[in-house]
Amino acid sequence: MFSDKKARRRSVLKGAAATAALGATGLYAPAVLSQTRKFEGTTINGAAFSHTFSAHVRDLIPEFEELTGITVNFQDQAFPVYNQQADLELSTGGSALDFVNITFIFSGRWIGAGWMHPLDDFINDPEMTPADWNPGDFAGGAQASLQDADGNTYGFAWEAGAMIMSASRSDILDEAGVEMPTTFDELVNVCDAIHNKDGVAAFVADKLHHWNWIPYLMGFGGKVFKDPPGDLTPTLDTPEAAQAAEFYANLLSSYGPEGVLSFTDEQALNAQLNGRANIRTQAIAWHTPLANSPDSKVKDSVRFALMPGGPAGNFPGSNSHGWGIPVGSKNKEAAWEFIKWVMSPDVQRRIAIDQGYSAVTRRSIIESDAYKTQMTFGGQDVASLYLQVLELGGKSGYMKYRTVPVFPQIGDKINKAIERVATGQQNGADAMAQAQDETISDFRKAGVEMDL
Amino acid sequence: MAEIALGVSEKHLPGLAAYRRQIWERRLLHALVLFLVFLIMFPFLWLVIMSFKSDPDILAWPPKLFFKPTLENYTGLWDDEFPRSFLNSVITSVGSTVISMVLGVPGAYALSRAARRGGSNAMSLFILATRMAPPIAFTIPYFLVYRNLGLLDTRLGLIIIYLTINLSLVIWVMRTFFDAIPRSMEEAAWIDGASLWQGFTKIVLPMSGPGLAATAILCFLYAWNDFFFALILTRTDAMTAPVAVVNFLDYQGWQWGKIASGGVMVMLPVLVFSLAVRKFLVHGLTAGAVKG
Repeated sequence: MFSDKKARRRSVLKGAAATAALGATGLYAPAVLSQTRKFEGTTINGAAFSHTFSAHVRDLIPEFEELTGITVNFQDQAFPVYNQQADLELSTGGSALDFVNITFIFSGRWIGAGWMHPLDDFINDPEMTPADWNPGDFAGGAQASLQDADGNTYGFAWEAGAMIMSASRSDILDEAGVEMPTTFDELVNVCDAIHNKDGVAAFVADKLHHWNWIPYLMGFGGKVFKDPPGDLTPTLDTPEAAQAAEFYANLLSSYGPEGVLSFTDEQALNAQLNGRANIRTQAIAWHTPLANSPDSKVKDSVRFALMPGGPAGNFPGSNSHGWGIPVGSKNKEAAWEFIKWVMSPDVQRRIAIDQGYSAVTRRSIIESDAYKTQMTFGGQDVASLYLQVLELGGKSGYMKYRTVPVFPQIGDKINKAIERVATGQQNGADAMAQAQDETISDFRKAGVEMDL
Repeated sequence: MAEIALGVSEKHLPGLAAYRRQIWERRLLHALVLFLVFLIMFPFLWLVIMSFKSDPDILAWPPKLFFKPTLENYTGLWDDEFPRSFLNSVITSVGSTVISMVLGVPGAYALSRAARRGGSNAMSLFILATRMAPPIAFTIPYFLVYRNLGLLDTRLGLIIIYLTINLSLVIWVMRTFFDAIPRSMEEAAWIDGASLWQGFTKIVLPMSGPGLAATAILCFLYAWNDFFFALILTRTDAMTAPVAVVNFLDYQGWQWGKIASGGVMVMLPVLVFSLAVRKFLVHGLTAGAVKG
């Protein structure tokens, strides 16, 4: 009893001393940590994939440890390595990790299987989460993959990708007398007008067709699944899918640089950076280097716009990765303290503005003047484009197709089908019908329920 | 031309024509061999060249054959966590190889000499059980057991795994070598007063040098090149070099230069080791192939 009291008094004294020290050194003590020393002495383990953001987090961890007395062991590894290890850890109900990154493509599997702990109790408890933390501040599109069908929240997004369009050599568009395209028809007309002008290919894309092509599929009115995540019947053999496949394959084969079908993300970016290829539709992170990378030869000519829309509308791709707590964690509340702190408005603002991290997910930061200044290139407000795409994804939930566990299987079939059309081996209808048959066969083997 | 130089026609010297044809055939064969060697070695050559290129040169199109070489990819490796992973690879590979040999070689000798007593074949088959299924089949059980025993992300854990896999290889390969050594050699030593252990260490082992070398290399290669178990059973502390190379596949872009230099560093010790013992390796691998 005596020792307990003594320990508690020591904790209080330590807390007071730490607070005084923080005040003296000017370190920031966010309001969200209302009971800063409640978990003193606890050790939490976290993991994520290597990323600029995780590097910033690593740098900030000592500050959190000093504020709370919680020790944080944080590992970050390459994307495929992390996913493999986290999937195994979560699927076996392990308690080794207290907070993890919920990878976008695994979010359906990890959340759907009940491997992640719902955070709503933490969010709704004013003792645990003060009102000014404001969970509603996160962009809808970024949060969509971190919630289940009932609206329960399992994570908070720290990174969001939003598909936009860039033209690295807009001077060629100007010379040809054409504007940035806003529709699929205009995109083809613009490509026609600028292709091979000054030796520059009109269009470029990387080979991840199951990411790049889907907005075109949806723009023509097609879908990947009938009604994900509930109904996973593939719908690749529709006339809309065939039309979209022909359209996109034509962009690659008629207007792409030599070897475009085997381009990785870096090769596509490099082609744009060096002014060898002009238009690309991809996530924003692959466009901003055109304006701010020291290697860019197109800084003065790059132009950004929303991705063009098709007859059925505009469906730019968006994705996000977020922090969550595994259901097996034995330190859930301490882990929430960490997530709450690292995703707090002030820490997020410091990472976004002081460190120049652009893929932030809090609306209040994206709309702030400082962020807008940072994301304005040649007078173009890219921050607004970014937010627009994130909100689009959140409103209609069209990105749900990508978070279902079986997407990698159908994605592989889509990649091959687009290649077959682009290389002239098959027409769009035949290629997509084959992709549909192969997917159904795979899904049957995997025991996926379909409405055929 | 030949007629002018020698003053005689080739039809008068049929041997000369045949000799010339042989020379041309030989040159053609040499050219073909060189071409095939180049073809086989090209991916490795490309990897080595790539490791000395800067990132813009690596991604340049068309590929640059002439470029300013740089060591930045290698120095970058040194600044990263790669050296620790490399050390982990060395420790786990050498450790598991040594323990496999220490345990497996006497086991193989015992099975070889116990053959006449029966049951040794069944025992050998039982020992081979660890190699009767692909590694993926053992993954989840190993992972769960390791998690409970606290062996995840430890070098000891990896050494135990490699030991489990390599022990059967050592026993099976070395048993065939010991079978080929006549028992009369040991019996002669026993008559001269040697103990069983002395017969084994002084007579049998020295005669099995090539086999020991070949088996050790195979064990080392398995452990050194393993990716799967290292991926599943390690995190950061015990991560091995092959996994560390994959760690350069960042979400925001692949670090091609480091992947290439890491690949070269992973290949280098195996190359040096194999060259050093290639005489034993070839002899060991082909021993018993032709019965005299």
